[in-house]
Amino acid sequence: MINRQLSRRDFLKGSAGVGATAFLAACTPSAAGPSGSAAAAPSATVEAGPLNFLTWNDHWNKDALTQAQQLLGITVNVTELSDDPDGIAKMQSVGGQLDIVSLDGSWVPKANDLSLIEPFDINSLAVASQLYSISRTFDIWTTPQGYLAYPWGWSPIVIAYNPKFVSPAPEGWEALIDPKYAKRVVLEDEPFDITLWSGLATGAKDVFDMTDAELAQCKDWLTKLKPNILKFVAQNDGVISALAKEECWLGNQNLGVEERVKKAGGIEVKAIVAKEGTTGFYDGEMTVKAGDNKARVRPYLEFAAQAEWVAQNFIDNGRPLFNEKAYSLLVNAGKKDLADRYFYNQPELALKMRVKGPSTRDADYLNLFNSVFGA
Amino acid sequence: MAKQSSDGAAVAPSDTGAAPGARSLWASRWPALPAVLGLVLLFLVPMGIVGLYSLWRINNNLQLVTDWSLKNYALFFNNAVYLRTFGKTLLVATLATGVTVGVALPFAYFIVRYLTGAWQRVVLLGVIIPFWSSYLLRAYSWQSILGEKGVVNQALQAIGLISDPITFFNYTNSAVVLVLVYVYLPFAVLAIYASLEKFDFGLLTAAQDLGASPLRAVRHVLLPSIRPGIITACIFVFIPILGEYLTPTLVGGVEGTLIANLIINFQRGGQLPLAAAASFLIAIFVTVLLVVFRRYLRVQAVVGRV
Repeated sequence: MINRQLSRRDFLKGSAGVGATAFLAACTPSAAGPSGSAAAAPSATVEAGPLNFLTWNDHWNKDALTQAQQLLGITVNVTELSDDPDGIAKMQSVGGQLDIVSLDGSWVPKANDLSLIEPFDINSLAVASQLYSISRTFDIWTTPQGYLAYPWGWSPIVIAYNPKFVSPAPEGWEALIDPKYAKRVVLEDEPFDITLWSGLATGAKDVFDMTDAELAQCKDWLTKLKPNILKFVAQNDGVISALAKEECWLGNQNLGVEERVKKAGGIEVKAIVAKEGTTGFYDGEMTVKAGDNKARVRPYLEFAAQAEWVAQNFIDNGRPLFNEKAYSLLVNAGKKDLADRYFYNQPELALKMRVKGPSTRDADYLNLFNSVFGA
Repeated sequence: MAKQSSDGAAVAPSDTGAAPGARSLWASRWPALPAVLGLVLLFLVPMGIVGLYSLWRINNNLQLVTDWSLKNYALFFNNAVYLRTFGKTLLVATLATGVTVGVALPFAYFIVRYLTGAWQRVVLLGVIIPFWSSYLLRAYSWQSILGEKGVVNQALQAIGLISDPITFFNYTNSAVVLVLVYVYLPFAVLAIYASLEKFDFGLLTAAQDLGASPLRAVRHVLLPSIRPGIITACIFVFIPILGEYLTPTLVGGVEGTLIANLIINFQRGGQLPLAAAASFLIAIFVTVLLVVFRRYLRVQAVVGRV
């Protein structure tokens, strides 16, 4: 037994030594790479790190990630993306710490304009042959340097409602501000998009570039909306959960909400596209130019974007995706009606939507939103 | 006076002039280097970066432009909603801190005064156990308690007090305060317990022997003695609540919005300088508070035996 009493100085010296050792150990690059990946990743150490993926919660399958790790040695770290501007800001801020990022519509060319992403030859990916051809030729994603994103899915934003409580059936955005539904609306926490919808509801000419007068009208509309909002949720599965638990009666969603709510709680909800118009998205995965492990993006896509995974993703999340072979699998599995109901077989509709994109007044939109939803 | 070596033995004074003094100073202070490095790397540098961001701006391409201005701060002071929301945040933090300390004090008193050492350890373990699960889970679980189909509503319906579930419990300011009290109670209990444990309860008896009522004895003898513990508990609870985002989001809904929720909106929108300015203002406010209360922050009196 050690009898020596530890003096404060000895303790501090010991702590300093341990701290310095730990610091040096943390700073020393590991030669081993990620666990279990040595055989699958013979490239340089920096290339052997995890694939850092910033995306929405419905862009990946848990099983696909597990198998990517087991079969390819690619560990995928998923970070949830809150909104498109957040994705752009994070790509600009974190240097090589992101390798693959998802964005919507015309946010993708914005990322390219800012030299944040790496265009690629989409046809050089074997898995791309499974895509609807239209999704390989979106004008706004086509550049002389290559294609900007690997297409994933699309959907207009719909208003989902519970017919048990919401009557008559809503036709447009005004249902969200009906005083009958106080504290019965749940929306995704996307201030920018919600401001866009307020612009649509109030008849703004161009919701992506509203004037001060139009923003003032938006403010009035959002002020009426506020008492009806129960809460904002981080991702769209939060809306699904609130609808299923009947916590809320109205919410914003993608196509396929009816099936997802049924799976979550067995109740029946319906969905409409607002008569005043809506926004929509088609989204895809981009290779981050500065990504430390961007070399792993292609093998990851070749694996995780295979039709089997995509078909499963459709069953889980319900909105149409761009993988045509997955549609065939769904048809073969007896799910043609379901797929057709949500326009999986009509990818050309994606081009008819008012696609999400940047505004010239992002800060003003956010400030307006905060002005209403602050205390 | 003879100097002492590190093991306490007397050593002869050096005859080489000022250099040994400087060496001695260095020798006595270098062990503090990790703490200083930690402070610089984990506090001052990040705060400096946040401060810098707050003085810059984002252009329409969401690129950071290093123009120096105070415009981001002006936005907060020119828009009443931000000041109002910050005021509300202060109010919620004050209320939650008051309730937390109000609950923690008698609880810690009970532990120290009426439980034996073994039972004290058991109860303190019970206080610490919630830390073994994540903050997110602890806060989220309150939705199952306070929600429309939660335990409280079901219990009230079962005993016939209400026929339909009531929405009062969840997504309200009161839910935010309740959950904050729950989340921060262990911090307050531990801080106050550490102070109470060293208190000589014979002093309370002496005060009453000298004619003081029990309440007067507590007010004039007990509370002043454990003041450092109470102040520390207040700081441990009040300051983190100023930056609370999760609890208001999970159980506060739109009604429970605090200043951090508005800051997150800026972050979601890629407006990092605006988010930085608001965050920096809160950090300055907290620093000022700590400076004001620094004389009460006698850590040794709170966490260690003198």
